[in-house]
Amino acid sequence: MELAEIIAFLAARHPFDLLPREALEALVRKIEIRYVRKGTVIMSPGDVVTMLSVVRSGAVETHDGEGNLLARLGEGEVFGVRALFRGGRAVHRSAAIEDCLLYQIPAPAFERLRRDHAAFAFHFAPLEGGRLKEAQPLDGERSFPLLSMRIADLLRRPPVTVAPETPVREASQRMRDEGVSSLLVSEGGKLVGILTDRDLRNRVLAAGLDPQTAVAAVMTRDPHRIDADRPAFDASMAMSRHNIHHLPVVQGDTLIGCVTTTNLVNAQTVSTVHLAGEMFSRRSVEGLRDVVRQIPGLVFHLVQAGATARGIGLATSTLADAAARRLLQLGEEKLGPPPVPYVWLAAGSQARQEQSAVSDQDNALLLDEAYDEARHGDYFRELAQMVCSGLDTCGYVFCPGEAMAMTTRWRQPLGVWQGYFRRWIEEPDPKALMLSSIFFDLRPVHGSEALFETLRATILERARRSRIFQAYMAKNALTHHPPLGFFRNLVLIRGGEHHHALDLKHNGVVPIVDLARVHALTLGSPAVNTDERLHVARDAGLISADGAADLIEALEYIGHLRILHQARQVRAGKPADNFMQPKDLSGFERAHLKDAFAVVKTMQAALANTYQADKF
Amino acid sequence: MWLHELGAEVRRRLFRPPRLQAAYRNSPYDEVEFLAVDVETTGLDPTSDAILSVGYVPVSGGAVRLADAGYHLVRPPRAIPEDTAVLHGLLEENLRTAPPLAEVLPTVIEAFRGRVGIAHHATLEIAFLTAACRTISGNDFRVPFVCTLALEKRALARRGKAVGAGDLRLASARSRYGLPRYRAHDALNDALGAAELFLAQAAQASGRKPATLGQLMA
Repeated sequence: MELAEIIAFLAARHPFDLLPREALEALVRKIEIRYVRKGTVIMSPGDVVTMLSVVRSGAVETHDGEGNLLARLGEGEVFGVRALFRGGRAVHRSAAIEDCLLYQIPAPAFERLRRDHAAFAFHFAPLEGGRLKEAQPLDGERSFPLLSMRIADLLRRPPVTVAPETPVREASQRMRDEGVSSLLVSEGGKLVGILTDRDLRNRVLAAGLDPQTAVAAVMTRDPHRIDADRPAFDASMAMSRHNIHHLPVVQGDTLIGCVTTTNLVNAQTVSTVHLAGEMFSRRSVEGLRDVVRQIPGLVFHLVQAGATARGIGLATSTLADAAARRLLQLGEEKLGPPPVPYVWLAAGSQARQEQSAVSDQDNALLLDEAYDEARHGDYFRELAQMVCSGLDTCGYVFCPGEAMAMTTRWRQPLGVWQGYFRRWIEEPDPKALMLSSIFFDLRPVHGSEALFETLRATILERARRSRIFQAYMAKNALTHHPPLGFFRNLVLIRGGEHHHALDLKHNGVVPIVDLARVHALTLGSPAVNTDERLHVARDAGLISADGAADLIEALEYIGHLRILHQARQVRAGKPADNFMQPKDLSGFERAHLKDAFAVVKTMQAALANTYQADKF
Repeated sequence: MWLHELGAEVRRRLFRPPRLQAAYRNSPYDEVEFLAVDVETTGLDPTSDAILSVGYVPVSGGAVRLADAGYHLVRPPRAIPEDTAVLHGLLEENLRTAPPLAEVLPTVIEAFRGRVGIAHHATLEIAFLTAACRTISGNDFRVPFVCTLALEKRALARRGKAVGAGDLRLASARSRYGLPRYRAHDALNDALGAAELFLAQAAQASGRKPATLGQLMA
């Protein structure tokens, strides 16, 4: 039997490329082929769906019940999965937008494939969420084998060892004294076992064993070990693969140490703290710049160590805070103490603690009511000028929209700021809002927090009460949307330097950030970080628990891809940006990205509904 | 082999082709059982040229069913001219070990039971299968056929399109419906190609109601 054409077609497409040849050959014998003319509705919500469909040629669009476009599918892409997961009832509406040839796989055959082939099943595993979250470490592993660091580099101290006959009480006292969570058990310099905190709890205390019991009786014998010369990433892979938290390190036969789960990421966290500390030791802008220049390298290492996008955003924002704070200190040293209290505010992504490797500066200066332009104007103008241009020198380039403290308009006393916000909230105008929405994400970095607290209280109270403002914000939140046609190259940036590139920031991150902001402001919540805002919205019942979890995962996945992309650029000595070429995405990444986009689109539709955003 | 052990009457019954009833012509096409078929041969003359392979795939309920697809290599009675062998990519060695037509034919004819044939340029398939049936069983091959080439010719004529050389080839006709390119001259691929083309043509010929078999055969 030769159906080589169809086998070859499937074998070249994800996730069918995960199936062994025999499985594909058997699968092909189950396929039914249908031709669907342009305009034909293939399934409507509620329809009975018995097949998974693969687009062989043509194009299909999927809309949700409200008519919002969720996905545009082309050659090799699959639909009907959700329906099959929901008892064979269509959830969305799928229609042919071009004449289509569909390969259809009957549900039982699809089910059998998922049962027999874990990798294939993983691809489809809960489309509702799970997959995005799980995709990250896998993806990191594939794209970023950690080559630069050796396991030996991670070791902080010689191994803490005991002999097998040591009583467990003595062993645990040793652990306490040494401040370690595991002991390596050695005999003649050779590793024979490991004893962990958990073993002491589970195998000794819970089992009611005598404290005199020998370590040998409760240790894990002949534990996994790893060679000191292997790449550090191998250690983290080995630990997650075997689900262990401690990994003895050997050099040849000699035991030289132990790596713990948190070691890898912690090693990098330490360097975050270290870099921040370095900043405060520098006395010049140039000195500070040399430290800031190490941030991309830090991000690269964080990526390799498997840190989350959120964790990396937190680290880079913390360092941006430190840079601003140091510049303010240096400014005050030069100009003398401030004549009236002030607070330096981070705005935008830095305020949300979601800064990426490439960031311009967004900030503002909030001055005390006692501020008098004539007497104090020069001081703060000069301070803001020093800090903003210092940040620019360091690599936090001037904000193209001039949302910076050196702009007179954004360096004002409390009353003026309150007036700005009153106008934005009570007489919203979409264009002004788009420009000013950056100031709805504020965080105090240096100075009087009480001053900021007063401003924030008025902002949140007004925002919470103004329905019209909320509707405008909602509408604003719908201006950026995920590029659903991305995979057919339809909604890419046209022309210019980034021709046919996907803008991970505006098409991926921004829509989620905007969504979260609307919800948080509606609730009058002080949360600024997007994850926190989504949690707040969930707890208040504004969005479903699933919706919040999906969005957080989507944000993490898109953020993760963005960081990987930027880390690759940094590694290649290129400036980091947000534009990804479709050809640089693996089939795996495309599939996950598409899921993430579908989540965002669904939640945007829900938002539009809630706030009747289209009425304004 | 076993075929030669059967009596003449049994052989006749075995090879008696299904017949098309008049009422059948009014059936919507998606209620009719079809079998798309392609034969690869050493040449175009059914009296002197030999069948080298047969591929077929059923179409029913408006869908191609790969589950019951079939593909048979046939050992030719004589050596094949070199140029043909190249065209089909069938190596003489593979054919030498294949069963003879007499062994393959009953399976093929059985596949046609209760079904209407589909082929691109059906005259050729009908001629070769008829010749085969006559030679082996002494029966006619009386299977009603839909010819996708004839359908395409009519569709183009109806739209006032001039039909140029090559426009009616399977690959050209398929491309007009946005159907993918398949490697030509493999009996199963071509049968599949014709089956898909038929579905596309039938979809186009259908209004709110599906086209009837009669409309597609006329």
